[in-house]
Amino acid sequence: MAAVTQTVEHVASLEKYKHGFVTDIEQDFAPKGLSADIVRFISAKKNEPEWMLEWRLGAFERWLAMEEPDWAKVSFPRIDYQDSYYYAAPSKKAGLASLDEVDPDILETYKKLGIPLREQEVLAGVMGAPRYAVDAVFDSVSVVTTFKKELAEVGVIFCSMSEAIREHPELVKQYLGTVVPVSDNYFACLNAAVFSDGSFVYVPPGVRCPMELSTYFRINAENSGQFERTLIIADKGAYVSYLEGCTAPMRDENQLHAAVVELVTLDDAEIKYSTVQNWYPGDPETGKGGIYNFVTKRADCRGDRSKVSWTQVETGSSITWKYPSCVLRGDGSSGEFYSIAITNGRQQADTGTKMIHLGKDTRSRIISKGISAGKSSNTYRGLVSAHPKATGARNFTQCDSLLIGKHSAAHTVPYIEARNGHAKFEHEATTTRLSEDQLFYVMQRGLSQEEAVQLLVNGFVKDVLQELPMEFAVEAQKLVAISLEGSVG
Amino acid sequence: MSVAAAINTRDASALPGKRDEDWRWTDLRGLIRAIPDPSEPFAGDVGRGPFDGLAEDRRVLVNGGETRIDVAAGQKAVVALRVLARGAGSHATMVAVTLGPNARVRLLESYESDGGSVSQTTLSITLADGAVLERVVLAQDHEHAVSVSQAEVRLAPRADYAQTVAASGARRQRLETRVTHPGGHAVLRLDGVYLLAGKRHSDQTTVVTHQNIDGTTAQLTKGVVRDQARGVFQGRIVVAEGADRTDARMGHHALILSDRAEVDAKPELEIYADDVSCAHGNTVGALDEDALFYARQRGMPAGVATAMLTEAFIGEVIDRISFEGARDVVRAWAAERLGG
Repeated sequence: MAAVTQTVEHVASLEKYKHGFVTDIEQDFAPKGLSADIVRFISAKKNEPEWMLEWRLGAFERWLAMEEPDWAKVSFPRIDYQDSYYYAAPSKKAGLASLDEVDPDILETYKKLGIPLREQEVLAGVMGAPRYAVDAVFDSVSVVTTFKKELAEVGVIFCSMSEAIREHPELVKQYLGTVVPVSDNYFACLNAAVFSDGSFVYVPPGVRCPMELSTYFRINAENSGQFERTLIIADKGAYVSYLEGCTAPMRDENQLHAAVVELVTLDDAEIKYSTVQNWYPGDPETGKGGIYNFVTKRADCRGDRSKVSWTQVETGSSITWKYPSCVLRGDGSSGEFYSIAITNGRQQADTGTKMIHLGKDTRSRIISKGISAGKSSNTYRGLVSAHPKATGARNFTQCDSLLIGKHSAAHTVPYIEARNGHAKFEHEATTTRLSEDQLFYVMQRGLSQEEAVQLLVNGFVKDVLQELPMEFAVEAQKLVAISLEGSVG
Repeated sequence: MSVAAAINTRDASALPGKRDEDWRWTDLRGLIRAIPDPSEPFAGDVGRGPFDGLAEDRRVLVNGGETRIDVAAGQKAVVALRVLARGAGSHATMVAVTLGPNARVRLLESYESDGGSVSQTTLSITLADGAVLERVVLAQDHEHAVSVSQAEVRLAPRADYAQTVAASGARRQRLETRVTHPGGHAVLRLDGVYLLAGKRHSDQTTVVTHQNIDGTTAQLTKGVVRDQARGVFQGRIVVAEGADRTDARMGHHALILSDRAEVDAKPELEIYADDVSCAHGNTVGALDEDALFYARQRGMPAGVATAMLTEAFIGEVIDRISFEGARDVVRAWAAERLGG
């Protein structure tokens, strides 16, 4: 009976994007539009030091001279950068001493989203259950960061970016913009000028971060963009696992999300970065609304034998345009990329990775699973390159695409550049539809068509799901099912 | 702007460059500051072409010009087509090939140059219902030449088109084939071999557009690069909406035999239909150390062992040429390049 109830509940919850609600709270906005004054306004709002403001203004100047790129296989009307708010924050002061000072409406929002912000709630869970610290970013500001004290005991710094700029300027100055330079690309440059908040993590040498760190991004305000910036540094021999989740309300207009994530690993350090992206995908029938997710994520494996692993589950956004990359600079460093990208309705995704082998004996591995249903389009675009000095570089890439429905599209665009005779690159890709035989087999055993599709799709993406941390894997599996709702029949 | 137009108007700024996605690894604009003067007509002896002994119909185009090859319904023909560049001028060449229904043709094409010429060849190839064409291209350009060949192939249902391009590179060499595939049980094979040494560059680019149901495409390209040579492979298979039951496979495999050689590859799939089976594979690497060790252990000098293993590697593509005479010519060409 329990299973039946769960199915009924599940189907009911499938009816729409369940994170599509709006929280009605008082908010501070910057005036609409984008100018040097807005950049100053944001910087002033956050009480930033002079050097930070200079940095932002320099970025803004360069951004003005840049052109919006158009090479991705996505199409959307021109973005009017003046028709958006670049700063929106809950009116009550951010950076609070305790959770009791946080607007109860915001707490309620996170509760609805299932994100535990109260440490005791996390602790009240089953004994021995995995705990994770959360940095919650609501529109432009970080509203709360949990477990800071416990993390500080082992020397781990986990706070919002604005706090890091104030409290740890030396670290921020040393690393900010060194992985993704200010003028790296159009959207990264825009982010550098107007970024509002994000998470900052520093793990000192030899420390294994005692819990998973996570950031939860929520766009709430209307007509606003979100531009967060995340910086994670794993010092020599350190390890940290970081999770990122995102949702937004259902709105008719498109909202821009242009984030920058920079990861730095020194000798023998490792960062595991997992994302479950579930921004509002827009109306499945008309394609109206939804988030433009134009994100720059890059890891710099500076140290020898360092490692970065990206895992992403991309189910939301009307347009996804992102390539989490690894610059394998240190000898013997390695990069991994595991991705599930699901598009349905009228979503468009152009996503993949770049593995740039610069050091000796560097290794990389790419597993990408793309699923396109409805009238959506899903592109894997990836680069694997080996510098002449990257002797012994090794890459394995596997890209599989699954098509569901007559009007969906799946593309694979890999770029391979091998510049030395001691590198070994392998790439394989397939594009198929769901096997009728398998569907028949499963349905014959009493599963509905929808359930059968979910089961087969979960099998298809299993290689990636098993790379996710436990709590995320469960959520991701459900998300896969929800994303494919209505794609068959 | 096309390369032909740039040559004809002698406007170097109209050449494609690395900012053009399809030419990112074959930058002509950055290489050629000014298009050389038009090539002079050539009246001297052009010697024998590689396929002369195999064909009754022999066409020779020197420093530009045009030719038409028409084969009527049900007819058979073996045609040797030589496209030559003499001197260091610039020119464009046009070739039209038309096969009537059920015609069977072997087109043996060769490119030769003897200096720093800049040349472009446009081929327009049309196959009617049930026609069969096997095209073998041997591109033996001069190391200072810039040579571009662009073929546009249109197939009718039940046509059978097979192609093997063998290239040894040039200063810049591009062999491009674009095929409009109508499905309807038409069969397509697009193969390529490149063997590059010195500072040579060679680019093999293919685009296949499946427009309707029941089409088959098989592609296999293999290359060996040494010294400071650069091999480029760009293959794109497009399956249009509704082109169900398409079966397309693409493979590209390259060996890099030196520290400074380079291979760039972009095998693309662009799929708009769901009932398809498409796959591509790509590998780039050095010769298998174990196989080399095995051969040397049995007393084979390193050079001989390398030649033998690379010949076996390339042989898989050459063996797919069905016309025995042409296969032997290509095999001898490969052996000569790999023997050193």
